[in-house]
Amino acid sequence: MKLRITAIEPLSPTIRRFTLGGGGAVPVAPAGAHVIVDIPGPNRVWKNAYSLTGIPGDTTHYEIIVRRVEASRGGSAWLHDHAAVGDELEVSAPQNLFPVAQLAQHHLLLSAGIGVTPFLAYRQVLRAPFTLHHCCRPEDAAAFAQLLGPAKNVHIHTSRNALNLTRLLTTQKLSTQLYICGPEGFMEDVLDVALRAGWPASKIHKESFGGATGGAPFTVRLERSQRDVHVGADETLLEAMEAAGLAPPCLCRGGACGECELKVLEGVPEHRDHFLSPAARAANGAIMTCVSRAQTPRLVLDF
Amino acid sequence: MNKSRPVYKPFAIDTAARCHLIVTDQAAPPSAEDLPLENFEIWVVKTVAPGVPAPQMGPVRAFRAVAEMLTHLKHRLGRETVGLRLYAVGAEAFLWDVHNLACGEGLAADEIRLHRAGPALRRVYCTHCKTMIEDVALNVTACPGCGASLFVRDHFSRRLAAFMGVKIDAEVPGEPFVPEPFET
Repeated sequence: MKLRITAIEPLSPTIRRFTLGGGGAVPVAPAGAHVIVDIPGPNRVWKNAYSLTGIPGDTTHYEIIVRRVEASRGGSAWLHDHAAVGDELEVSAPQNLFPVAQLAQHHLLLSAGIGVTPFLAYRQVLRAPFTLHHCCRPEDAAAFAQLLGPAKNVHIHTSRNALNLTRLLTTQKLSTQLYICGPEGFMEDVLDVALRAGWPASKIHKESFGGATGGAPFTVRLERSQRDVHVGADETLLEAMEAAGLAPPCLCRGGACGECELKVLEGVPEHRDHFLSPAARAANGAIMTCVSRAQTPRLVLDF
Repeated sequence: MNKSRPVYKPFAIDTAARCHLIVTDQAAPPSAEDLPLENFEIWVVKTVAPGVPAPQMGPVRAFRAVAEMLTHLKHRLGRETVGLRLYAVGAEAFLWDVHNLACGEGLAADEIRLHRAGPALRRVYCTHCKTMIEDVALNVTACPGCGASLFVRDHFSRRLAAFMGVKIDAEVPGEPFVPEPFET
């Protein structure tokens, strides 16, 4: 759908809130949902996923919060430097791959950086008590403190050692559900501690956008389409396929949902997703095209 | 496969857990080679004389009866932390009593393991008068609630932790039926 930017609000030098709407009602989006925004670049369109941070269920408009990524591939830089009130953007229907487990009696929310965005929607609908620990750089602390507001159950940490994850994750009651959202390194740290503490998979909920940080270029052969596609250093395999006019399956664009899985016929993938099990990773029989790349100069996929 | 009967795997420890609580309605715990090396506790039902539980032996704690154990289990799970795995070993009714109690305390299905052990005795639910009948050994039993002669179907309710018993000659009154013991 086409939505207009109706407001832009700087929250810090690198974080802005955008309000999207302007037409009629927008589709209902539950807490945890995200949209894919098409961002016009000089040579191509970027498709970036942003969590909705407004009031879940509000159909008058959407709100997203965008951090200007330092080594931005184009999307967030354009939104920060060029986007203006009145601009029209193509926005996908909302998808929710990070829903609240409402039967929990306690929610433990752990976020880092801009990963706090889904929790801004969460905390408006959580029926059970929650605790939020947010990790960010010292220069961003004030902006996040303002976003989250003062509350006894909200904690902001500005150094890596301020949050004792092991103690936190070994002292949670059985009825607690754990939610993790943030950049790759943070996700891995928390997951590692959680698994060592014995957390079962069913109580860990995670979402991460922006795992696609680029890498060495490679070529992909799409066997059924009879096409060879070059994947550049600063684009994802999925983006390269889309740029070539193909329409491969995809949903979260962050390596979480498994929708974009394609069969690998030849070559060795470099797995960067959160979907495949360790065994499936080792088997190298499948790849998540939205974030994963290649260890070999050429990959052959069944598509 | 009979979808009306849960399928149980052999007893095995989940090595991803931080600590383990094994509860059984039997007098003896699972064999030692199957047990974790550390951070475990075993609850058994064992008495040395009527009403006198066996003394605690290391990580093994004895209860007078299943009812006493389940009361303690509820209290214990209310204070436990994520990282625990709960294992139930014993009669099918006991397994699902433990399972349902644990779910109520916040445990998820992947934190509970059930292992069937002990004699082939069933708890039977009279579908007519709702009476629960414990330790039924034959597939025909009289309901102590309403007096109906019940046929015990191979249909287990996880919610009730019991097999379904239905009036045996409901279709043809007086139809003769030869009772048979359960195989499992």
